[in-house]
Amino acid sequence: MTFATKRLQKELQKIHGNLPPGISLVSAEGFDEWLLDLKVLDANPIYLNQTYRLKFKFSPSYPIEPPEVTFHKTADRPIPMHPHIYSNGIICLDLLGQQGWSPVQNVESICMSLQSMLTGNTKNERPEGDEHFVANNRRRPKDIDFYYHDNTV
Amino acid sequence: MAGDSAEPAKALEFKEKGNKCFQAGNYTEAEALYTKAINYDPDNPLLYTNRTLTLLRLRLYTRVVSDALTSIALMPENMKAYYHLAQAHIALGRPSEALASSRKAHAFCVEEIHRGGKGASSIGPITELVLRCKKEDWEEREDVRLRGREGLLGEVVEALGKGDSVEGTRGKIEEVRRVFDEAGLVDREARRRKVPDWCVDDITFAVMLDPVVTKTGQSYDRSSIMEHLKRSPTDPLTREPLRIEDLRPNLALKAACEEFIQENGWAVDW
Repeated sequence: MTFATKRLQKELQKIHGNLPPGISLVSAEGFDEWLLDLKVLDANPIYLNQTYRLKFKFSPSYPIEPPEVTFHKTADRPIPMHPHIYSNGIICLDLLGQQGWSPVQNVESICMSLQSMLTGNTKNERPEGDEHFVANNRRRPKDIDFYYHDNTV
Repeated sequence: MAGDSAEPAKALEFKEKGNKCFQAGNYTEAEALYTKAINYDPDNPLLYTNRTLTLLRLRLYTRVVSDALTSIALMPENMKAYYHLAQAHIALGRPSEALASSRKAHAFCVEEIHRGGKGASSIGPITELVLRCKKEDWEEREDVRLRGREGLLGEVVEALGKGDSVEGTRGKIEEVRRVFDEAGLVDREARRRKVPDWCVDDITFAVMLDPVVTKTGQSYDRSSIMEHLKRSPTDPLTREPLRIEDLRPNLALKAACEEFIQENGWAVDW
């Protein structure tokens, strides 16, 4: 059993039926990919009545290494509008990057951070250069050196 | 016992050959080569630990025990020999001896970390082994306890049956059985208890064996914070610089975790 499997088994046990409001587990079949649904709870008009899907991918050395977390588009799960979320679902959030990650973070705490990132947002827009980035990016999300320039959104 | 006949150079030659076989997964051949190496240099403790590792793979556990003890006699501060010895004792169903050996391996490993030695990378597997030994040890004690209680029930029922008055005795026996039954239920209920957060490591979510504290006041198991520091020399909570030398043992918490596992061996696999 890998480092990651042991920890994820325990995380699964902890969150089972025990997640904060607006966050729900969709599937956690194996220990390399989990899907969760996320809702914004207040009346923020940008996200009203929407549900978003998050995809977590874990490496065998999670939580020493960060998971890869992206929004996942399906027929009824759009990619939320946000100046740090690209239209292909890639999220620019320091705690998910190689530098900002800490092994005391977990699936639940990441979901809560993303939920509050959406809740506090007032800009109905994509990051600068979204089209170019989505068309050209071939790197894994965690290898991208985002410039975390603006911590107010 | 080697006297003048020892030939370390020849021993080394066979040891190298043995290592190659071991790496290729050819354990029978590796064992034979290590044995030749030992014949050429019987006072070299490291040759025995090469052979114990091979014997573990071959599941020849009683031979692991004797080789490990020989190696320890030649070199008392012998992390590897104690580590292999504990694994053999577990396999042989001798958990309390396994626990004692695994603790020694852990202590020597921590010393080696402080000296900056290469054994430092073993802290993860050794920590895991100590916890495994604790669980096996708890299970053995738990078995004895439950068997003891079944015996007690039998004795009480038998003693009651010997009474003179028949009326009333049957009722008493039923009552005694019911009470024992309920105690059993309480036991099973207790086993579903939660692991308290204070003894859980925030990185692995497992019960801590050897908590160390950072200046934030947060404790982590030595093995998991070491794993994190290898990747990033930062405090997991504040992201401030953190080095191995900054870690301090948390003795009170260690004792509390120890006591908790002593009574709740199941928590190792919660």
